[in-house]
Amino acid sequence: MDTQKDQVTIELNDTRLEARQGQMLIEVADANGVSIPRFCYHKKLSVSANCRMCLVEVENAPKMLPACATPVTDGMKAWTKSPKAIAAQKSVMEFLLINHPLDCPVCDQGGECDLQEMALGYGGDTSRYTEGKRIIKEKDYGSLVSTEMSRCIHCTRCVRFGVEIAGIPEIGGTGRGDHMQIGTYVQKALSSELSGNIIDLCPVGALLSKPFLFSARSWELKSVPGVAPHDAVGSNIQIQTRNGKVMRVIPQENEAVNEIWISDRDRFSYLALDSEDRVTQPMVRNSDGQLVETDWQSALEAAVNGMKMVASTDGGGALGALASPSSTTEEFYLLQKLMRGLGSNSVDHRLRQQDFSGQSDQIAPQLGTTLQQIEQQNAVLIVGSDIQREQPLLSHRIRKAALSGAAVSTVNPDGIEFNFPLSGEVVTDQLTPALSAIARAMVDMGMGGDLSGLSALVADANVEPAHQAVAESLIGGEKAMVLMGEIAYRDQNQAVIYALTGAIASMSGATFSVLTEGANALGGLLAGAVPHRDTADATVDSVGMDVASMVDMAPKGLLLMGIEAESDLAAGPAAADAIRKSEFVVSLSTFADSVTMGKSDVILPLAAFTESSGTFVNAEGEWQSFGGAVAPKGEARPGWKILRVMGTMANLDGFDYNSSEDVLSEVRGLCDQAETEKWSWSALSDLGDASSCTVASTPIYQVDSLVRRSEPLQQTPLAHAGQATTGGAE
Amino acid sequence: MNMLKKIIRTWTLSELLKGLSVTGRYLFRKKFTLNYPEEKAPQSPRFRGLHALRRYPDGEERCIACKLCEAVCPAMAITIEAAPRDEDAPEINGVGRSRNYGNRRTTKYELDLFKCIFCGYCEEACPVEAIVETRVYEYIFDGRGQNVMTKEALLRIGDEHEPQLAADLEVDGRYR
Repeated sequence: MDTQKDQVTIELNDTRLEARQGQMLIEVADANGVSIPRFCYHKKLSVSANCRMCLVEVENAPKMLPACATPVTDGMKAWTKSPKAIAAQKSVMEFLLINHPLDCPVCDQGGECDLQEMALGYGGDTSRYTEGKRIIKEKDYGSLVSTEMSRCIHCTRCVRFGVEIAGIPEIGGTGRGDHMQIGTYVQKALSSELSGNIIDLCPVGALLSKPFLFSARSWELKSVPGVAPHDAVGSNIQIQTRNGKVMRVIPQENEAVNEIWISDRDRFSYLALDSEDRVTQPMVRNSDGQLVETDWQSALEAAVNGMKMVASTDGGGALGALASPSSTTEEFYLLQKLMRGLGSNSVDHRLRQQDFSGQSDQIAPQLGTTLQQIEQQNAVLIVGSDIQREQPLLSHRIRKAALSGAAVSTVNPDGIEFNFPLSGEVVTDQLTPALSAIARAMVDMGMGGDLSGLSALVADANVEPAHQAVAESLIGGEKAMVLMGEIAYRDQNQAVIYALTGAIASMSGATFSVLTEGANALGGLLAGAVPHRDTADATVDSVGMDVASMVDMAPKGLLLMGIEAESDLAAGPAAADAIRKSEFVVSLSTFADSVTMGKSDVILPLAAFTESSGTFVNAEGEWQSFGGAVAPKGEARPGWKILRVMGTMANLDGFDYNSSEDVLSEVRGLCDQAETEKWSWSALSDLGDASSCTVASTPIYQVDSLVRRSEPLQQTPLAHAGQATTGGAE
Repeated sequence: MNMLKKIIRTWTLSELLKGLSVTGRYLFRKKFTLNYPEEKAPQSPRFRGLHALRRYPDGEERCIACKLCEAVCPAMAITIEAAPRDEDAPEINGVGRSRNYGNRRTTKYELDLFKCIFCGYCEEACPVEAIVETRVYEYIFDGRGQNVMTKEALLRIGDEHEPQLAADLEVDGRYR
């Protein structure tokens, strides 16, 4: 391609600028720091050119042209601040202000409002309009977004967001001229998992955050960068606080991770922080069996002495530890260091996984490519994943790929729908036969390699046209990826599914991606918080108990970090029973459920994600560190501090860290040196029960203790939809 | 010559007499001194005394919790917490519960009179003439913490002085 022809030179405000052919004038202006007022134009949305605020003067054009819809041409001369341009912009502003109410003092957007800012620059001091203003009745968009549609200036950003980004055209404009209204066509709550983003997109105060309504002003808020703790994307967020309290969460732009979006889960989970279930005091169970509040010193002593007691009477192997998959890497590292120091390899964070037989052959759950690269794929196969609900923003990347022509196919149980077009669909309750059939189709097409352990299974498979189509699309794709999601990862026959998926990926030359629950599953594995691997994938002399065996055997001493047994573990009630059977239980808890309160011998209050510093490793392997935005509630302390002190009190070496950065640099150093082992399916011996039933993925607003306690999220249609379709299957 | 003038001025006590004549003149003029507290100095309608929060004639409080006074206050004397008015909000003068349900209202409006410098910016910033400064300048605190005026106290002062406040704002209105 001749790059010379692609480049054009334009003159903007009498300055010569280089631009790409076909770029819009407003993009060139933005790239060069020339500000043009705008409402409807947004860099992530299509151009609609309906607000007319970006009118500029262009040489030889009879009228002012909208900069957002004017492509640059070689030698174009444009002026953004000429008297004619300014006059046009001012006239547009006068029109926009005709119907906009003068209620800035009661409007939550006040202080961060595009219209308010532009009106300062382009608005008149008085209005010439004396007729009545248009008033539109408030609409109910559900529990997350509040509306004040009289303030709407019809920029249609929210409409375009629904169509182009969320993939659910829920909002639209009805009526014409003065009677035009933006709204859901029929009265309903928004059902997209990304719906909160329209709050940020709205340039006026028409769409606002309902939970945040009237609670603070933008100028009072202090912004602290953070990382969202609910999925493996690791969306960058800004935690906005006021007087030491988290007031809201908004996205932080990071093109490589979350672009400018965050999911509703990331945006509204902060509402759980002040839940009644928050643990704010260290508690120790006294001789009468009552939990009594105490100070940190005695609580920590009780915890460490109890664990050491178990270790000395029954050996270190009688100890087990479970951590939430959304713990920070530092917490994972210190937890496994503490447990291994006490003589136990039984540390795990894969709470909802059921089959661990293949664990030693499997690599850490990761994307295998970058999030941005997903958009470039030509073929994607989604295996056992409700990706749109599991990893909303990763799904958005797949959607982009699908819309630009990639062949996306799925192997999923019934009832899972996506907001992107599928080229092939295998609907099945049994993943193993379906995957074998796809592998068989590939073998038949001459792609087969050495399938060793799997060959019998694949040879028996019955290839149907749907399987054939999936195989063909994967092989045909120049860049292809095979993505194994939570449903597959949690299957009781996970080892075989994993091997089959991997075989399919490697036969078709596709990237093999494995995504599972939690914000930091990859970090957990790298830090060594698993029974079969030490830090940085180092081998261990004896494999400890995994989650399933801990539930079966109920270790005598249990250390739980951020766990709510009944909701967080696959085994649910059985896990709760195992905890109840255990002799000595220490819980590091942010929220305490009935099991924690009923059984724990020591409860140590754990800081929430906004209160602790730490690092999440996202699906693509990016280490993203963050600091605490607010002080921990009550007596709660960050997990790494608690574990550090426990290590010191247990007289273990190497626990004298001064900061979470010290911990991070140690674990990071170990991981950077290590070579990650390649996985293989050849070692697979037990093919298990091939007809095992698949499990459903966790409903989007049930994944962790935070979202479960966020009241507005629980009121959304999505929360109810999840219960209806998957409640029975669990 | 100058020397001579100086000697004459010194010995005739002319400067002393000149000074005393000022004193003498004021001795027989109308007195400035007011017999406070029986008599009080005249006040401008713009007098900036103790603060008050006003209500609309129907009893609904004016303050909409826009927090502009809090933002403009150079002494940071004002603290506001806001929330949508809920149904449990106390009924004010028997009206307004349903009409004002869900409106933006303060749940806390505190003004620390120790910090306040009586600059009047809060009054100027207020878009609804809710926070005003009354003509009251006679007040005492006889207990710790009384310097922090609560919303209830401010509304009470407003209710007490409403006729005067309305009249003052009326006079000043055309200059605003």
